[in-house]
Amino acid sequence: MDTGGLILVIGLLLAATAAFIWLARKIGSSGSPDRQSKLPATGLENAASKDVEHIFNDEFREELRNRGRLHFEKIIGENAMFLQQDLRQTTSQLNDYMRSEITRTLQEEFKKYEQSIADAKKLALDSIDKTITTIEQQRQFLETQLQTQSEAQKARIVAAFETEMASIVNHYVLRAIGNQIDLSDQLEYILAELEANKPAILEDIKRGT
Amino acid sequence: MELKIPNTVMSQIDVARLIRELNNLEDFFTSVATRQSGTPMTPPRLSRTLDSLARSNKFNLLDKNQRGELNNKLDQVLKSAPLLHISFASEPSPQVMERILVWLRINIHPQTLVQVGLQPTIAAGCVLRTPNKIFDLSLRTRLKQQEPYLVTLIAGAAHGH
Repeated sequence: MDTGGLILVIGLLLAATAAFIWLARKIGSSGSPDRQSKLPATGLENAASKDVEHIFNDEFREELRNRGRLHFEKIIGENAMFLQQDLRQTTSQLNDYMRSEITRTLQEEFKKYEQSIADAKKLALDSIDKTITTIEQQRQFLETQLQTQSEAQKARIVAAFETEMASIVNHYVLRAIGNQIDLSDQLEYILAELEANKPAILEDIKRGT
Repeated sequence: MELKIPNTVMSQIDVARLIRELNNLEDFFTSVATRQSGTPMTPPRLSRTLDSLARSNKFNLLDKNQRGELNNKLDQVLKSAPLLHISFASEPSPQVMERILVWLRINIHPQTLVQVGLQPTIAAGCVLRTPNKIFDLSLRTRLKQQEPYLVTLIAGAAHGH
């Protein structure tokens, strides 16, 4: 049931209630003294009035009033029952409508919520992807930098090793064999070296002389 | 004629010692000439080196003129003979020095004199210093010159060649 149907039912109920109230007031007002005092004061009317007063005495009137009250209460009860039934039906329909509306609204909200979650998830994933990309770039940069520094350090160490290593070996050899070689054993070496440098020695001796 | 210097005369100190010895001999002969007769005289003992020098150069040390000539020649040697400084890692034996001196007097100059020094840091070989140059014939320098080769060898070993 849509909103128009609900309004129509409520309007019918209100119209029925208004009709019953109007009828009850109408019946109540027909027996009032003011009404009787406004009748024309004719003979017939007076006779009728007397008969009426005679027929419709207070007891009869009270009886009619009671019967009217009972009838009214019966009608009211029946209408109340109908109204109650309509109200129950309306309440049930309203409950169904509210349930369906709430369900639909909740589903829409859930859809929006899911969409929001999906969007947030997408944003988070994009952010994570960007972060991963940045980290990967940083890692590659650091790796390159580290490798460059490592190569430079390695080159420095190798250069230092090449520079110092020969001196260390020489120093070690000199220290190890320095006092162990007899000059007699070196004599051939010394004479060979002198022979190799003979022209230079001669030249310097001549120049010095 | 150039004076032949025996191999036992190595340095300027030896030459100066010979000159001093000759002067003592000259003083002795001078004192002999002025002595009174009958006065006992003890002639100075000649060293083996001076005797060898006189014999190899055929000088008669009893002759005053020849003594003077020898003295002059020794002075000349002291002034003009080439002097070489040789340093060793340790004290060389006389045999070693004699062989080196013989080589120098044959190949460089017959009157070459040497002055021996000590340089323990050279380990082996010698360092020869002439008037204007230094000839480093030591093992230390030899090893230093071979450093690139040593580096090449070690680099080759490191690369598995």
